[in-house]
Amino acid sequence: MAVELTGITKRFGAFIANDGIDLAVRRGEIHAIIGENGAGKTTLMNVLFGLLQPDEGSIRLNGETIMVADPAAAIKAGLGMVHQHFKLVPSLSVADNVFLGMEIRRHGLIDHAAQIARTRELSKRFGLHVDPAERVGLLSVGIEQRIEILKVLVRGARTIILDEPTAVLTPQESRELFQTLRSFVAEGMTVIFISHHLEEVMEVSDTVTVLRNGRKVATRPTAELSKDELVRMMVGREVSFDRRPRAQLHGDAVLEVKNLWSRDDRRLPAVRGASFTVRAGEVVGIAGVAGNGQTELAEVLSGLRPASHGEAWLKGQDLTTLSPAAIREAGLAHVPGDRMVRGVDRNASIAANTLMGRQHRAPWSRGGMLDWKAIAGNAGALIKSFDIRAQGSGDPVKRLSGGNIQKVVLAREFTNGADFLLIDQPTRGVDIGAQEAIHDEIMRQRAAGRAILLISVQLDELAALADRILVMFNGRIMGEVAGDDADEDRIGMMMAGVSPELEPAR
Amino acid sequence: MSDRLRAVSGQVIAVGVALLLGAIIILLVGESPVRVLMTLLRGAFGDQEKIAGTLLQTTPILICGVAACIGLRGGMFNVGIEGQLFLGGFAAAWVGFTFSLPAGIHTLAALSLAVVAGAAWVAIPAYFRARYNTNEVVSTILSNYIAILLTSYFTIFLFKRPGGWSETPPILATAYLPEIFSFSRLNWGLAIGLLLAVGVALVFRYTSWGYGVTMVGSAPKFAEYGGVNVKRQGFIVLLLSGAVGGLAGGVETLGVHHRFMEGFAPGFGFDGLIAALLANGSPVATIVTALFFGALRSGSLLLEVDTSASREIITVIQALIILSVSAQVLVRRRGDSQAGERRWKF
Repeated sequence: MAVELTGITKRFGAFIANDGIDLAVRRGEIHAIIGENGAGKTTLMNVLFGLLQPDEGSIRLNGETIMVADPAAAIKAGLGMVHQHFKLVPSLSVADNVFLGMEIRRHGLIDHAAQIARTRELSKRFGLHVDPAERVGLLSVGIEQRIEILKVLVRGARTIILDEPTAVLTPQESRELFQTLRSFVAEGMTVIFISHHLEEVMEVSDTVTVLRNGRKVATRPTAELSKDELVRMMVGREVSFDRRPRAQLHGDAVLEVKNLWSRDDRRLPAVRGASFTVRAGEVVGIAGVAGNGQTELAEVLSGLRPASHGEAWLKGQDLTTLSPAAIREAGLAHVPGDRMVRGVDRNASIAANTLMGRQHRAPWSRGGMLDWKAIAGNAGALIKSFDIRAQGSGDPVKRLSGGNIQKVVLAREFTNGADFLLIDQPTRGVDIGAQEAIHDEIMRQRAAGRAILLISVQLDELAALADRILVMFNGRIMGEVAGDDADEDRIGMMMAGVSPELEPAR
Repeated sequence: MSDRLRAVSGQVIAVGVALLLGAIIILLVGESPVRVLMTLLRGAFGDQEKIAGTLLQTTPILICGVAACIGLRGGMFNVGIEGQLFLGGFAAAWVGFTFSLPAGIHTLAALSLAVVAGAAWVAIPAYFRARYNTNEVVSTILSNYIAILLTSYFTIFLFKRPGGWSETPPILATAYLPEIFSFSRLNWGLAIGLLLAVGVALVFRYTSWGYGVTMVGSAPKFAEYGGVNVKRQGFIVLLLSGAVGGLAGGVETLGVHHRFMEGFAPGFGFDGLIAALLANGSPVATIVTALFFGALRSGSLLLEVDTSASREIITVIQALIILSVSAQVLVRRRGDSQAGERRWKF
């Protein structure tokens, strides 16, 4: 075994990021660690690499129990890690970056020629195609990653950890990366790579370990697994079909999305031709493994990201042509997925947080002047009606628990009179009690005739709340399932990219 | 409330540490820190003329400080206040010596042009910030040099008083900002500064616009999500900050010098920025910190007369204050790196 982790537990305060995880990686294999965001993948690898110290558990490398006190110890033991965020000096050449901190010297001076030669040799051997003399500042992200890999190689790593290496790559670059990884194992090296993309895990790995909520679900040979099995392990087997009553009657179409396209931050298409309708008084769910275009879809609908093509009509106005403020005017309420950054100002009071989006509206504002008494009074009423556990409306939001922060967001968004509610991951990181309360509130909004688009990576949440579920994969809507018919097999297949028409059973 | 208390005590400790280090340096140059401190206090507050002198120094620092606060509130670091002050000073002087208008109106016209000049000067970096996301810290710092040298050029080559120093002709008495006391050049500029500080604080606290700007400064993604046009507000905030910077120059010209002189007000813009940072971006607290720096400046005048320490020790102490305030802000915001980096992103 190249790496053996036994009973690794890592806590951050009350939060358990890794809970008694065992992991065994054979020498000479590509071992993928897969799981949703927050499943504990990166924490586990940081423990292995000495960036974090485990609270419990032990680490064995090549059969020997060792203490990995810091990354220097890990490197000495033959480990290397390529992080998500690169640490390169843009003004230096590729070779200088590769040898930074361990320069080859000749007569006390840096031997640039030798560094360049050695970098070129390594780059050729593993098919990395990097020009060692080029300045790093001029290179693309994909090449920067190769330089990070070279850094790890010259430090003598035999086991290489890559944290979400494909997150910043184009599909073409990803394929080249996989080639490189295969050439590593061909030379007897070991690769551990973290991902939440099923496709690439299926394509490149020999063994898969699935993590969920800080625990290990399973370690299996990739060849024995199908994509939908993998999805089920990632999102959870114990889908509780505690279904809420479905909507009795649906009203008119409130939101009509037609062939909508958009790009992600890498300028790659992330939403590819989505079309759907949300009617008044229904909840339409969007299922999918995280990172399949859901975030971008939500951002386009709220005006935070431009659409590259297509339309999204909200009550007679095309959202793709409007600013975020105008979209709010047109009737959008938005519970953002990234609650701490988008949803609140953590340092501001509850009252100030409930004001966002309505700071120009009466009765909170008259003639451009704010009426803080009315705002605080309203915030106090929201604290009561949404059962927000806080001392008062003057409390800064950062003092509240995750569930209560989310209730602040819901309280603000659900009371602004919008007809269309865009709700993204409403219960992520929220305790069970608050989850129930949030679900109840969403049901009340549906009963009040609002049109609701509910994006969630939790299947049980969608099955419980949604009248219809659309499944997103790779930016496309793979198919639709009625909420009552939602079963993990059918949804799981579509989440893994298998279109329902091709399913043999149908 | 306890957050605010923590912030205030943090700043006080930071200044305390800086003064302590300053005391050690004074010891090293062979002078008694106690004597230097007493001399400073005597120089700054010894009698009513000295107090007036301190307030005279405080005025431009306060107005520049308010200018910086406006920027900071919206997440913009206007380091170009010095340059805006010079251009505003020149613009006010030009109105003062070129036109003849009734008293009062003349002053108002001169101050208005000073405001316009400051805003127009910062409009260039502000535009690049909004359009191309250029770092406004760098572009506003660099714009200082151009502004200061531009006013030198105007003064020496275009508007030089015949036979005089590097200065423009004097402005007409109708454009003066009147003096408050007979024994000092202290003028109504101080009142402008105080009103401005309180007014700006009220605008940020009690208007819908101020709320949006505050959110742009403290949580830009939240503001964007809530429908605030982050780029536009950033542009407006920089413009207003520059306008107030220009006003500071106008007040200094019309109230104190009554002409524009090359290098007429060195460092007030930077002192104002430091005062604003020490006040954590609060315009009202800037009144206190500006007074502190004003007292240091005017107290230091006595320093070389009565002690063997150089006035430059004051500059050293100021630098120490900047360092320790930056350090404590970084420590305090350790758990909140996003906001910290935004505010201290040099």
